[in-house]
Amino acid sequence: MTLAHYMTVSALLFLIGIFGALTRRNIIGILMSIELMFNAANLNLAAFDRFLHPQGFIGQTTAIFTMTVAAAEIVVGLALLLAIYRNTDTVYAEDFHLLRG
Amino acid sequence: MIEYAYLIPLIPAAASLIILFGGKEDPHSKMPWLGILAMGACFLMSAAILWSFAAGTLSLPAPETNWDWFAFATSVGGSHFIWPMKVGVLIDAPAAVLLFVVTLVSLMVQVYSIAYMHDDVRYKRYFAFVSFFTAAMLGLVVSSNLLVGFMCWELMGLTSYLLIGFWFEREGPCEAQKKAFMTTKLGDSGLYLALLLIYAKVGSFQLSQIYYSFNHGLVAPAAATVAALGILLGAMGKSAQAPLMIWLPDAMEGPTPGSALIHAATMVAAGILVVSKTYFIFLAAPAAMEAAAWIGLITAFMAAAMALVSYDIKRVLAFSTVSQLGFMMCALGCGGFTAGLFHLTTHAFFKALLFLGAGSVIHAVHTNDMRQMGGLSKKMMVTFLTMTVAVLAISGIPPFAGYYSKDMILVAAWNHDPRIFWPLLLTALMTAFYMTRLLVLTFVGDDRDHERHHHAHESPALITVPLVVLAFFSLFAGFALTRGGFIERALPKPTIAVMPGVTALAADASAKPLLPAGTVEGSTDSAGAPAASAPAPEKEEELPGWLAYGIPFLLVPGAMLLAVVMYRGPKFETADSIRATFAPIATLLDRRWYLDDLFLWLVKVGDGTAALAFWIDDNVVDRVFVDGWGLLMRIFSEISRFFDDVFVDAAVDGVGGLGTDLGVGLRSLVQDGQVQEYLMYAAIAFSLAATLILTR
Repeated sequence: MTLAHYMTVSALLFLIGIFGALTRRNIIGILMSIELMFNAANLNLAAFDRFLHPQGFIGQTTAIFTMTVAAAEIVVGLALLLAIYRNTDTVYAEDFHLLRG
Repeated sequence: MIEYAYLIPLIPAAASLIILFGGKEDPHSKMPWLGILAMGACFLMSAAILWSFAAGTLSLPAPETNWDWFAFATSVGGSHFIWPMKVGVLIDAPAAVLLFVVTLVSLMVQVYSIAYMHDDVRYKRYFAFVSFFTAAMLGLVVSSNLLVGFMCWELMGLTSYLLIGFWFEREGPCEAQKKAFMTTKLGDSGLYLALLLIYAKVGSFQLSQIYYSFNHGLVAPAAATVAALGILLGAMGKSAQAPLMIWLPDAMEGPTPGSALIHAATMVAAGILVVSKTYFIFLAAPAAMEAAAWIGLITAFMAAAMALVSYDIKRVLAFSTVSQLGFMMCALGCGGFTAGLFHLTTHAFFKALLFLGAGSVIHAVHTNDMRQMGGLSKKMMVTFLTMTVAVLAISGIPPFAGYYSKDMILVAAWNHDPRIFWPLLLTALMTAFYMTRLLVLTFVGDDRDHERHHHAHESPALITVPLVVLAFFSLFAGFALTRGGFIERALPKPTIAVMPGVTALAADASAKPLLPAGTVEGSTDSAGAPAASAPAPEKEEELPGWLAYGIPFLLVPGAMLLAVVMYRGPKFETADSIRATFAPIATLLDRRWYLDDLFLWLVKVGDGTAALAFWIDDNVVDRVFVDGWGLLMRIFSEISRFFDDVFVDAAVDGVGGLGTDLGVGLRSLVQDGQVQEYLMYAAIAFSLAATLILTR
């Protein structure tokens, strides 16, 4: 297993996450796709740390860190979603066009 | 003495200023004696000059003395130089004679005025005016520069105005002074234009320079004629020739001694004087000479006719002055330069005497109307005798002064044109008639108004002594001046060598034509001039014997006798019946040939023309052109505005609208409010950028 394998997996995960963020109707689906992107980045971090700095632990620590941040962010996102749902009764992204100009 | 000649006009001017500003206005002021002192000094100087000339110790014309008054830079034909304006004196023989006459008459008038103007409210001011007038007249006589002479001319007009309107509390003098000033001003415009023309053609106002130009025929004939006619117009105004003579009869509203000086002897002679100073211009313009002769004749006749029917003693004398001025002008026009100026000097003496005598009479009887006089010879012997001398002089009885000068005038007319001679002779006889009539009505026979006659008495010595002095001159001046050909030496006729326009310039350096009225050699001076180019000399023959003796011994005494017979009695029925028979003519003469009405009518025409012009300006020019143009401009601007609003603004708005619509349309295409779309764009952009950067 070389670094390239891990990077490929991480890239594919990221792309799938991008695709999902751009395509999913449901906002929760978008949030899940964003989570995927986060995981891809974490995977990348751990892989680089293992293969380039075997004695180090910076990468792993950063991965844990970002996981925490991702969790907090999803909390905020879900809170926003709940507020939106309570106000507008829908969770589909295509229904919101307040930014239309 | 001749070196101090420039003082002669200045002394009376200074005296008049001192009199005017020194001391207060007081009917018994002593300041007038200063004026008399000044005039006495000038008279002695003038007499000394004339005496030296007569004795042969002084040769005139004396060299010019000039001072530069101011100078300015000018350029003529490309060359620049400084042009000086000179003021100075030029005493030639006629000027010497005139100096004597003017100063003598002025002196006599001032002495007379001490008594006559006694107790007047503005006693002192009168003498200031008289001195100032004399200064101006003397300035004109001696001036070497025509423009300075013109200044003196105008100053004389001013003092005449002041003296005519001396008693300005009354309406008559005020009207008369305005009339005099404006009528002479009309003539002065001609003189001024002539001066400008002369300057344009000659380049100088100096008489010597102008004479030089005319002597060499450097001035075109047309310009010479126009200049001469302009000068003639000025003389017509000042010397009261027809039709500008209307002011002189009215000028009798002024004090009588002032009238004696100004409107009889001196100022009215200024016109004749200027014509004689510029006589060479008239020689170069025969048409103007002819005009002068005829104008003089007409004036003489018209005025004599008016004097025949007038009963106001001063009016008769005024008309007589106009008539005698006509004689002088006619003489000058006929080529009788010596005759004209000689008559001017003798006329000054006897006319001043006549006016002063009339003043003496008026002072005694307090009326001007001769119908209320009569028989005054018993009460006023000196006045009567002196006035008789004057009347004999003016009628032309030898050996009194007037005979010699009138005889010369008639000779000049005889040699010039018989059509002028016979009416002139008739006028001379009329002169004798009406002057004798005046004498008879005033002094001879029974008194018509007992009250006035009773109170009349001879005037005091200050009045009678000048009368006697002037009578002496009226008696002897003519005889004395013609002895030994003195008068021809004193008043030689000027000549010009070349008529204008003749191209053959007799350019010989020996001809020293720098001074006018030069020596008697006349046209023999410029030896190189072809005889055909000089002006044709007048015939020089005398009157035929029967006329030469018949006029003074038959015709004139006959006219005088007729007057005596007609007016001797207290009622003069013959005169009244003649007047009734020829009533229309009498009316014409009483209305002064309707000349006053003519001028008033001209003024009316002028007013009417001005009113018409104003109406045209107000209604036609303003309405049609100015307002109409404004309306047209308003219409144009309305059309412009319409174009602007409809087409231009619409285009501008259209383009703007197009831009807006384009933008809105494009925006609505991409800006839908869908966040995922925006994310997609971001992702595409990012990956494009990354690709481009990482694969460089």
